[in-house]
Amino acid sequence: MSLKKNFASRLSLYVVLFAAGLMVVVSLMLGIFSSSAIRNISRRMAESQLDRAILEIEQVITEVERAVDNLDWVVEQHLDNEEFLYKVTREIVAANPNIIGSAIAFEPGFYKGRKYFSPYTYIGDQTHEIHTIQMGNENYDYPILDWYQIPKLLEKPYWSDPYFDDGGGGQAMSTYSMPLRDADGHIFGIITADISLAWLSRWMSGIKPYANSYSMLVGRNGSFIAHPDSSKVLNETIFTVAMELADTTAFDIGKAMLAGKKGMQRFVDKGQDSFMVYGPISNGWSMGIVNLYADIFRHVRHFNMFLAALLFLGTIAMFIGCRRTIGQLTMPIVEFSNSAMTMAKGNFKAVIPEVETKDELMKLRNSLSYMQQSINEYIVELKSTTASNERYESELNIARDIQMSMLPKDFPERDDLSLFAMVQPAKEVGGDLYDFHVVGDVVFFLVGDVSGKGVPASLFMAIARAAFRFIGALGLPMHEVMRRVNDCLCDGNTNGMFVTIFAGRLDLKTGRLDYCNAGHNPIVVIGPDGKASYLKAKPNLAAGLFEDFPYEDETLQLERGTRLVLYTDGVTEAERADKQQYGEDRLLEWAGRQNPQTASNLVAADLFNQVKHFTKGADQNDDITIMSVLLK
Amino acid sequence: MNVTITEEGAKALVKLEGRLDTTNADQFQKDIQPLMTGSHAEIDMDCSDMEYTSSQGLRMFLMLQKTVSARGAKLVLRNMKPHVKEVFDITGFSHIITIL
Repeated sequence: MSLKKNFASRLSLYVVLFAAGLMVVVSLMLGIFSSSAIRNISRRMAESQLDRAILEIEQVITEVERAVDNLDWVVEQHLDNEEFLYKVTREIVAANPNIIGSAIAFEPGFYKGRKYFSPYTYIGDQTHEIHTIQMGNENYDYPILDWYQIPKLLEKPYWSDPYFDDGGGGQAMSTYSMPLRDADGHIFGIITADISLAWLSRWMSGIKPYANSYSMLVGRNGSFIAHPDSSKVLNETIFTVAMELADTTAFDIGKAMLAGKKGMQRFVDKGQDSFMVYGPISNGWSMGIVNLYADIFRHVRHFNMFLAALLFLGTIAMFIGCRRTIGQLTMPIVEFSNSAMTMAKGNFKAVIPEVETKDELMKLRNSLSYMQQSINEYIVELKSTTASNERYESELNIARDIQMSMLPKDFPERDDLSLFAMVQPAKEVGGDLYDFHVVGDVVFFLVGDVSGKGVPASLFMAIARAAFRFIGALGLPMHEVMRRVNDCLCDGNTNGMFVTIFAGRLDLKTGRLDYCNAGHNPIVVIGPDGKASYLKAKPNLAAGLFEDFPYEDETLQLERGTRLVLYTDGVTEAERADKQQYGEDRLLEWAGRQNPQTASNLVAADLFNQVKHFTKGADQNDDITIMSVLLK
Repeated sequence: MNVTITEEGAKALVKLEGRLDTTNADQFQKDIQPLMTGSHAEIDMDCSDMEYTSSQGLRMFLMLQKTVSARGAKLVLRNMKPHVKEVFDITGFSHIITIL
């Protein structure tokens, strides 16, 4: 299917290109608006996932806090029962699976004579057995530790930053510390609950909205409290990790998390386009969930892909539809073209398909139909014209044969005479004539030229020739012959037709030439010495004009070897394309070159060829007649 | 052949220009029709720019001469170029048409 050759395809393509352009613009706008909406939804989803996770972690934290909150009055009532205090810590650990250790640490000197007193229960890291000890001693000077000192100074509950406890637990943990107050509000100790960071990390690993997501908890100073990579806990902060990433936005995320802000940020995490949502937790920590960007905004991507596929398939469907519809609509054009081609090949009766629509196609069909009708009519006319032309032509050919047969062809070749003549009409029939007859030793000859050409001239020529045949044979003097022929031609000649004639009678014994010129071109005389000249003759008057015109004849004595060349003005007035005529000078020059011995037929043919050579194929505009009479 | 006819009272002044041959003889016949059917007492033709005449052209002049003579008027051809005059001389037309 070449587009250049198929109109329907080309038109379809233009329509589809235009429509597809529109669709692309509309789709782009739709895509932009929808993507933005879907993007917002995706962000909100990520945010709610974070909220849910925060809610869950806060639940854990609250459970831990609740386990030790409000225990100050219990402790205060049993200050004198040390065993009971040990039991309290045991029960806290035993009753709360999330708590791996609990201590009631008293102010140094609270008990008289004892610097340290702190019942402590913990679960062994490896053994998972519960141990209860008194943990304060010279090596473990708990009053200076963060988990003790900070809540005491702040005078409020406090979650410690992650640390590795070597006082008994022997593992990474974070401790919730609550100050114990007496009735006057004085702080006399701290009660704690520990949570295992390893456990927290495991617990956190369950928070992953997508397969590739991971979550983390960050403490107040940026250190990791929980992270899927447990080696990072305690050892690294969010800033040390950010430094390893090429993306500096990770720093901004860290700052925002430390500032307790809630937000979301796209960044490159280990070479992957990621999206992090983060938010503060009630105890001052911050939680972050890192998702692949593609996961969060997969709906946007799916939507865009769907839109692109829709656009692509829509365009193809539109092209196919357009191509088919337009193909059907333009089918008549193809059919018209076939009909026209059939007509062009000569079948003018070719069927032109009907169309039902009253549109341009109908107009085209009507035009074709009209053209076909006109051509058929024209053909009928042409046939009749051609037939009639052929008839005229055939009649003219017959007329030509008749006219040519009027001119004698038995040219005398005698010891004393060589005579030859030829006629070349410009049209089928002409107005030139020649004649001759030999009676004894006398030869009578003439050349004539009727005014005009064609059929009118040929009819007049026929009359002239008949008149001469009859009158010339009577043996009258030449002027009398011409007078009678003239009278004969004048009779009934209302059209002013006339004929110029040069007629002569040569006595072959004596060489005496009697001649009469009726307005004809001067003939050429070539002497035995080869010298050529025009014969001065009285012009008299062309025959057929005025009755009783007194023609005069003249006499010339010829030597043997003298040649007479008679011709009509078709020779001297033969024209080249540049309107130059052959002329009398060229004729005389030609005559001067002739050998007196040459037979008349060769001389006549030579002159004819000379003239043809001169005109170089230009149309012959007048009849040409040449006669050579050689007295030997 | 270009034919220009100007009338000066009963006299018609005619200017002939160009060639008179078979191709335009019919047109020439139409051009001089006013002179054939008119009633001019004298027709004066200036032939100084006539280049050629065929035998058919001669016939036109003859017809004009006959018509003009019949109504007793006069036809004069003037200033003919020698090679054109020669045609009139050869055919003997100089005898029946006044050429000055």
